[in-house]
Amino acid sequence: MTESNQDPYVEWIAAEARRPVQLAADARVRIMDAVRATPLPARPRRGSRWLTAPRTLALSPLASAVLAAGLVGIGVLVGISTTSRDGRQQAEQPTAVAANAQLPVHDSLQVHRFELRDPLASNVSLVGDFNEWSASATPMERTADGKWTVTVHLPPGRHVYAFIVDGAKGSTWMPDPAALRAPDDGYGAPNSVVLVGQGSAT
Amino acid sequence: MNRRNVRCALSALLAVAMAAPSLLAQGPDPLAKLDTASRRMVQSLIDSARAEGLPTQPVISKAQEGVSKHVSGPVIARVVRTVFLSLRQARATLGSGANRDELTAGAAALQAGIPAAALIDLRHAGRGKSITVPLVVLADLVTRGVPRDTASRAILQLWQGGAGDADLLGLPRAVEQDIVSGAAPGDALLNRARTIPIRLPPAKVPE
Repeated sequence: MTESNQDPYVEWIAAEARRPVQLAADARVRIMDAVRATPLPARPRRGSRWLTAPRTLALSPLASAVLAAGLVGIGVLVGISTTSRDGRQQAEQPTAVAANAQLPVHDSLQVHRFELRDPLASNVSLVGDFNEWSASATPMERTADGKWTVTVHLPPGRHVYAFIVDGAKGSTWMPDPAALRAPDDGYGAPNSVVLVGQGSAT
Repeated sequence: MNRRNVRCALSALLAVAMAAPSLLAQGPDPLAKLDTASRRMVQSLIDSARAEGLPTQPVISKAQEGVSKHVSGPVIARVVRTVFLSLRQARATLGSGANRDELTAGAAALQAGIPAAALIDLRHAGRGKSITVPLVVLADLVTRGVPRDTASRAILQLWQGGAGDADLLGLPRAVEQDIVSGAAPGDALLNRARTIPIRLPPAKVPE
């Protein structure tokens, strides 16, 4: 393409493009003012930068051992508190619900009240397959009329249990006189049976 | 110690610290008080129950009960073995569809001396219903001195006649009252069973 055969309209556009742009005298000042007025992007604070910045951590073997012992100790303390709380929670049900033989707690557990009338006993505890037959897990509380009661949460199904009664003759295992009986199992002391969630609080 | 090693060590420590509560929550081994031979025997019975698909909790619970009662290790092992064998027989009698409660109640009934045929009759008469309640009541009545055959026949007739769980669960206490009053256990059961209204299922009307 040569100069002679160019379109005059194109030539006019090219001339306009080559013409230097004339800026107003205060344009530079106004642009700089606008730049200064624009806020700077937020920079992370010093504290967060300290936390997020990668760094090398050097520990001596002694410090590592102390750190390890501390972490394990925290875990042990939390575990002990959790275990002791779980061990007691069955016996620490509010007496308000103890008035009902069975109340639904949620989908699986039901509140069940155990009761034994023995005014001469000094201590009574409940043992069964729901508390690993632990004599200390579920102590019963004495009421004014000589009854011993405790309320526990039980999953539905068949449960075997007994009472341990401390009296004048020492500690005695005995079945619940008001409940169904389980056959003698070979240990010499009969147990009782409770059917939870099967239409009866027997 | 470079950064990678420190990270690995800290991760391991955190894992141990987080696992500690759950490990402690499991508590001490309930069988730890058994002598070595008895413990090994009980553990093998628990493993066998698990391998055969039987509920292990009744087996473990029976061992725990023995430990809590300060029974000697060999006696605990023998009783736990009896429970395991009873569970196995109950499953063979009631079928693989029997649930955990039916198995434990069936095992207890068998231990009470109730013949396996009585369990089968109850299963067939159950029309698909759980037979836990009749099994528990049957074992209870035998424990109170009712002859096994008398108890088995009476409970089967009531069950076939449509007696409800509440009807059956009320029987032991009533029978006990009559026994205390001087009635023979078998007679007490038969007399009380007659007072339960039988609700037979409606007969089919031929089209």
